[in-house]
Amino acid sequence: MSAELKLYLRNLAARLRLEPSSEREIVRELTTHLEDRAQELCQEGATPEEAARLAFSAMGPPHLLAKQFYEAYSQGSWRWAFLAALPHSVFALFFALHLWRNLGWLMLFFVAILGMAFYGWRHGKPAWLFPWLGYLLLLVLGVGLFLLSLPLWAQVVILAYIPLAWWLLSTVAVQAVKRDWLYGSMVLLPFPVILGWVLALRFQGRWAEFVRQGHNADPWIALSFLTLAVAAATFIRLRQRLFKTGALLTPELLILILVTLSTQGLVGYTGFILLTLLALGLLLSPALLERRIGHGEGKPPEQANALSSHSH
Amino acid sequence: MALTWPGAGAMMPAHSIARYSVKYVRELLKGNTDSLLLSLISEKPMYGYQIIKELEKRSQGYFRFREGTLYPALHRLERQGYLSSRWERLPGGQERRYYQLTEKGSRNLARMTQEWQGFATAVNLVLRPVPAS
Repeated sequence: MSAELKLYLRNLAARLRLEPSSEREIVRELTTHLEDRAQELCQEGATPEEAARLAFSAMGPPHLLAKQFYEAYSQGSWRWAFLAALPHSVFALFFALHLWRNLGWLMLFFVAILGMAFYGWRHGKPAWLFPWLGYLLLLVLGVGLFLLSLPLWAQVVILAYIPLAWWLLSTVAVQAVKRDWLYGSMVLLPFPVILGWVLALRFQGRWAEFVRQGHNADPWIALSFLTLAVAAATFIRLRQRLFKTGALLTPELLILILVTLSTQGLVGYTGFILLTLLALGLLLSPALLERRIGHGEGKPPEQANALSSHSH
Repeated sequence: MALTWPGAGAMMPAHSIARYSVKYVRELLKGNTDSLLLSLISEKPMYGYQIIKELEKRSQGYFRFREGTLYPALHRLERQGYLSSRWERLPGGQERRYYQLTEKGSRNLARMTQEWQGFATAVNLVLRPVPAS
């Protein structure tokens, strides 16, 4: 196969953002097509270079082709939508029923998270896995905070815990972003919400009361996580990438408005804007990471594109 | 130069008519991509390049699928359960991905064909009304 065709296919692969096995199948199939077409054009009198160029021109620009393949694959089933919404829904239920201070229920939930995360990780990392990974990271963070709260002599444990937590965090982040940066955002979805509520309760001076005996904010916190559940399910069911991005960012903004309103003016416009910028920065940070590490096993799209442009 | 647009009575330049025709055919094709693909594949398992050639031949060059449209459509139909695929080695040693119709695809094709026949009959009745006796 000519170098130009290889570059075209590499450029396409860098933009597909699908499961690695599906990407390999697509590239393999298009390779056979491009070879057939180039061979036919050569038989009609074109030079091999002309034939290669005509063959991939007929296929269309890689980004448009990748977009069409993405839309063919991106819609998950209702079962997947349910599974993606489940961890957020359970978390919402814990607040709605004031169960989140019950250690037994929390332990059960975190065991379920570990089980689902392990199962999903070993079975091709389907889209429903990523919300569960978000709560897995929350668990890691929670254990870290708990260790920090121990007496000083016991805090040596944290020296062993930090590298382990960092390894887990970076593995999850890199693997999610290598599939698609939107999955990285899906992992991070609960964090701005939790941060927002912690800040709101601290601003109101009700944090200690909230931790000790609960607070009338519980139903609103439940509503926030229920909104995340709807966002996750919608994300799974949508086909188009732009709408998927909107499905992740819009509910987050609505929740932050809810958080701000709940403080009855204590978090003003400036606080709201800072919180929103922080949330957007966090949720969009996987996109920046993707630009650095690239997608799948290929190069970042802009590098592949540069190679492709250079060859012309 | 301006030509009349048949049936509409409006004046349209020739290049506008040509552009309109291309757009109209593209829209018609877009709406019928699935039924055309399922219908072709229902006769025998085929691979992508073969489908393009066959469609062009059967429609006497009227339908020319863009390769970039065909493959995502085939993959979508496979994910919807209307098609299944398998890799086969040709006598020359090259591998090809053959698509074939599933039971579900067959039922869907029958439904689509029926819908299309009803639609085409209705359109023909409107476009070519029976002259009053």
